[in-house]
Amino acid sequence: MGDYKILKEKVPDFIKALDKFEVFAPVKKGDTVRFEKIDDPSRATLDFSNTNVPPKELMFPETETLFRYRVVSTEIEPKVPSDEEKRVVLGIRPCDAMAFSIVDRLFGWDFPDPYYQKRRENSILVGLACAEPCSNCFCTSLGGGPANEEPLDAILYDLGEFYYLKTITDKSEAFVSSAGDALESAGDSERAQATELAGSAEKKIKRTIKTEGIPEKLPSLYDHEFWTQYSNRCLGCGICTFLCPTCHCFDIQDEIEAFDGRRARMWDTCMFAEYTLHASGHNPRPTRKERTRNRISHKYSYFPTKFGVIACVGCGRCINFCPVNIDIIDVLQKSKEV
Amino acid sequence: MVDENVLRDKAKEILSSGEVRRLIGWKRGTYGYEAAPCVITDASQADDLIFDATCVQNPASFITLEEKLPVPRGQQPDTRKIAVMVKGCDSRAVVQHLVEKAYIRDDVVILGIPCRGVIDRRKAEKIFGEAPQPVLAVAEKDGVVIRVNGEEKKVSREEILADKCLRCRYPNPVISDYPLGDEVEKWADDDFSDVSEFEKESPEEKWAFWEEEFSKCIRCYACRNVCPMCYCVECIVTKLKPQWTRRSTDLSENTVYHIQRAWHLAGRCIECMECQRVCPMDIPIMTLNRKLTKDVKELFDYEPGVDAEAQPLLASYNPQDPEEYIM
Repeated sequence: MGDYKILKEKVPDFIKALDKFEVFAPVKKGDTVRFEKIDDPSRATLDFSNTNVPPKELMFPETETLFRYRVVSTEIEPKVPSDEEKRVVLGIRPCDAMAFSIVDRLFGWDFPDPYYQKRRENSILVGLACAEPCSNCFCTSLGGGPANEEPLDAILYDLGEFYYLKTITDKSEAFVSSAGDALESAGDSERAQATELAGSAEKKIKRTIKTEGIPEKLPSLYDHEFWTQYSNRCLGCGICTFLCPTCHCFDIQDEIEAFDGRRARMWDTCMFAEYTLHASGHNPRPTRKERTRNRISHKYSYFPTKFGVIACVGCGRCINFCPVNIDIIDVLQKSKEV
Repeated sequence: MVDENVLRDKAKEILSSGEVRRLIGWKRGTYGYEAAPCVITDASQADDLIFDATCVQNPASFITLEEKLPVPRGQQPDTRKIAVMVKGCDSRAVVQHLVEKAYIRDDVVILGIPCRGVIDRRKAEKIFGEAPQPVLAVAEKDGVVIRVNGEEKKVSREEILADKCLRCRYPNPVISDYPLGDEVEKWADDDFSDVSEFEKESPEEKWAFWEEEFSKCIRCYACRNVCPMCYCVECIVTKLKPQWTRRSTDLSENTVYHIQRAWHLAGRCIECMECQRVCPMDIPIMTLNRKLTKDVKELFDYEPGVDAEAQPLLASYNPQDPEEYIM
C-alpha cells in the first residue's frame, strides 16, 4: 500500500506515462459519459457523476467475437484476449467496481468464462471515490460506499487541487512504477482528507433500502398481482438491464458473410420477449409482468440464493434512466408491504 | 389546464361505470422532474391521478402496449374499452392509431386535457440540479412555476419546456370524448428551421454527425418501445428468421436500425418526442423523424394524426403526387 498525489494538471502526463498499458477512462460526449480507450489523454475526464454505461462493458463488451471460422474448414480462430493486453481502467466508481466482485462469481462458476476472466486479470482497476453521490444512489444499503475499495487495485480521491491516490493491491505496483514523475508522494494529511471526503459523501446518500428478508420474501410473491402496478407501465426496453453493472446475460449468434463467419455474443436482456421465446413459439414469460418479476427477483432473490450476494450495487442507473419511473427501491419497499 | 379534482372525478365515474377495463394517465413519480405514467383499473386508485407540467409521457403508447394473453377455454375476453388521458400531442397518436386501424373508435374513451407545455428534465436539471423529491410544475401563459427542492420558482417557457412544446401547434386535444378544463390558446408554431439548418450541411458533415450519434446506441430499443406508432406485434429488427438486422451492436447495424425506425415512421410520426426523451445515450432521434415529417409535408401536404378519417399516407395515392424520383 502506498500514498501518492497527482496534481490535476498532471493527469494527462500521468495517463501518457502509462504507455505500456491500454488506458481506459471516462470520456464526455455532450451530456453522456462513457469509458473509452484513451489515445489522446486530454479526452479523459475525471469530472463526472457516473458514466451512462457502466465499466462492465470493458470486461463484457456489448458485442464481442468469440471465434472466427471459414465455412469450408473445421478450423476455428479463438478470440480470447491474450495475456499481453495489459490494461489500466481509470475512474471507476466504487459501486461499479463492486459489481465486478459480484459478476466474477457468475463468470467463474460452472464454466469459467475465459473472455471475461482474461480481461479481468489483465486489468488494473483504479477507482474514483464519490464526493457528490447522485440523488438515487443507494450503495450503502448493499454493503458499498462512496470509497468502497473491493475489488479495486487503487483508488483516487478528488481533493481539490490534486487527486490523492491510494494503492490497495500488489497489482497496482506495476502501474505506479510506470507512472514515474507524474506521481508525488503523499502522507497522513492527504489520507485524513480522503477519509473526511468519504465520510461526508456517505452522509449525502439519502436513499436506502433494508435488504433483510427480501431474498426470502420475493419467491412468495411469484403469482402476486403486485407486479402488475409496475409491469403495466413497463415499456419492455433494455435500459435497466443494459445499463446495470451486474446484469450479465448474453445471446450468441453466428454471423456469416460469404465463407467467413464469426460466433459473437452480445448483451441480451430478460426484459425482451425474445429472451425466453422457445423455438416452438411458446414463451414461459409471456408478458412484462413475468419479465419485471424476473428482473427484480433475479437480482434480489435467485442470485443471492445461488451465490450468496445480492446482484445490485445501488448505482441508481435503472432508476435514473427508466423512462417510466419504475424505481427499484420503490418496488422493493412495496414488496415488503404486500 | 385542468383541475385535478375534475380529472379524478371523471376517472372515477368512468371506472365505476364498468365501461372500461383500464384507464391510462399520470401519477406523481418517486423523484425528479417527470411524472410516472400509470394504468389503473379501479376507481379507488383514481386519487393518484395528476396533471401538470411534469406529465411528459405519452399515455397513448400504453394503449398498444397492453399485452393480451390467450383466453383460457370457456372464458370470454375482456372487450371493455380503454380510457386514456391525452394532451394535444398525445391525442394525435390516438388519431393516427385510428387512421391505421390499430383499434376502432369505440375501443377507446378519450379524456382530453388542454396543455400549456411540459418540462424537459434535461433542461430542468441544468437549471436546478437533481431533484431527489418529486417536482411540481405548472405551465402558465408567461412561464412555468416550478416547485423544486423546497423552493418555488418561475422560469420562462423557453428555458424549461420540452422542444416539442416550444413549437406546439396542437395545445388542445384534436380528439376527445370528455374535454377536461378550458381550451388554451395556441402560442407557438413550427417552421422546421432546425431541420432546414441541418439540411444545409454537406453530406460528409451529416454523415460524420450520424456516425458519432449512431455509434453511441446501445440498442435498448427504448425509442421503439415508447413510440406510440411502433406497435407491430413482431418488429423487423428483432425478427430472427429471417434476420434482417443483426443483434450485434456496431455502426453498421445501429445505422440500419435507426434508418429503418425512421423510415417506418414516415407520414406517421406525431412528434410527441418520446423517442428522444427516453434515450439513455442522448441520441437526437427527432432530427431524423422531423426531416421525414418536413419532407412528407412539403411533398404530399400530409400531416399525420390530425384527421381520424384520413387515409394513411403510404396507403393513399393522388395523381398529383410528385414523382421526380421515378426514372
